[in-house]
Amino acid sequence: MPLALIAVNFLGGIAWIDAVAAAPADVPSQPAPDFVLPAAVGSNVRLSEYRGQPVVLSFWSSRCGQCASQLAALERYYATYRSSGLVVLGVSVEDDPQRALGYARAHPASFPMLLDQSKGVSRAFGIDRLPTTLLIDRSGVVRYRHGDDKPGDPSYVAQIRALLDDRIGTP
Amino acid sequence: MKSQAMQFPMNIPNRLLRALWPLLLVAAGGPVLAADAPAPSANAPAPSAAGTPDAPAAPGDAAGSTRSLDEQIQGLKKDVVDLNKDLFVLEEELLFPANTQVAVFVSMDVGDFFALNSITLKIDNRDVSNYLYTPREVSALLKGGVQRLYVGNLKAGPHELVAFFNGKGPHERDYRRAANVRFEKGVGAKYLELKITDHQRAQQPEFEIKDWD
Repeated sequence: MPLALIAVNFLGGIAWIDAVAAAPADVPSQPAPDFVLPAAVGSNVRLSEYRGQPVVLSFWSSRCGQCASQLAALERYYATYRSSGLVVLGVSVEDDPQRALGYARAHPASFPMLLDQSKGVSRAFGIDRLPTTLLIDRSGVVRYRHGDDKPGDPSYVAQIRALLDDRIGTP
Repeated sequence: MKSQAMQFPMNIPNRLLRALWPLLLVAAGGPVLAADAPAPSANAPAPSAAGTPDAPAAPGDAAGSTRSLDEQIQGLKKDVVDLNKDLFVLEEELLFPANTQVAVFVSMDVGDFFALNSITLKIDNRDVSNYLYTPREVSALLKGGVQRLYVGNLKAGPHELVAFFNGKGPHERDYRRAANVRFEKGVGAKYLELKITDHQRAQQPEFEIKDWD
């Protein structure tokens, strides 16, 4: 009897470990909170106006070491998939808008650079590290979240293609 | 004896039930119809490939049932829209009763001398709204749209509203202008309109607050 109990516990433990391993690592699948932010250059941007298009939202700061290479990678993705309907938005969480403007000029990108000076938007998205990049599907649901991986991670391309192809079911 | 649903204000559960009735019917009817159908016997003649006079399928009936289903779907959509409208009105009545309601609207005419970027609204020296406009929203305003910028509650008595308009003025210069109005809140709902117009002779934008009594 004790042997049977040990076996059951052991098997149960294996099943639990399998369940944890099989769970998606970081797929929030939550509706993206809507926002409107001023752009460093150009007009204001409201997220809900891009409903129907996949959106890549990347939070950055001039104090973050990897942000420059992340923005450069996003620029490449934007140049490739822009014609397919991809939208890329960079969001600066800089306290000083002038500093953000300077950084945006030093790292030019063809996608809008938005200023979240009050950090209300980054709080709404629960940003706790930089750079953080969120991939939002056509129905406005956050499908993928990248926080600590290397900029230019090959999984970005697969995920962007999945969003463009609508391979992820709408909720 | 009257049921509880019949006594509910605005008859919403009844409407919901009516709206969902076709779906319930389809869900319940499908298996029943399938179960009612006679099982094919072993010695029954095999259906011929070509259409024969005794073939059970009638194209006219199928088209009729499709049309009926379309009508049901259209009716269902209409009921959902009506229900949404009723819920919206109910929410408004509960959150902003007419005796305390204050609503501020924005309208824009021509817009040659002013490109709207944002409006900050203060009532009794308290920030109540700070709205950033996207080009699409400005375009909608220029086409004649009226936006409800703010709705809130105020007690009866004198109040002051100040609106700050930010944007680009003539010659693409940054432009910031304020307009204020003192108004008396009575027992009914109060409606105020922020109007942005062009003053052609002065070549400047004009900002006016209109009190709709």
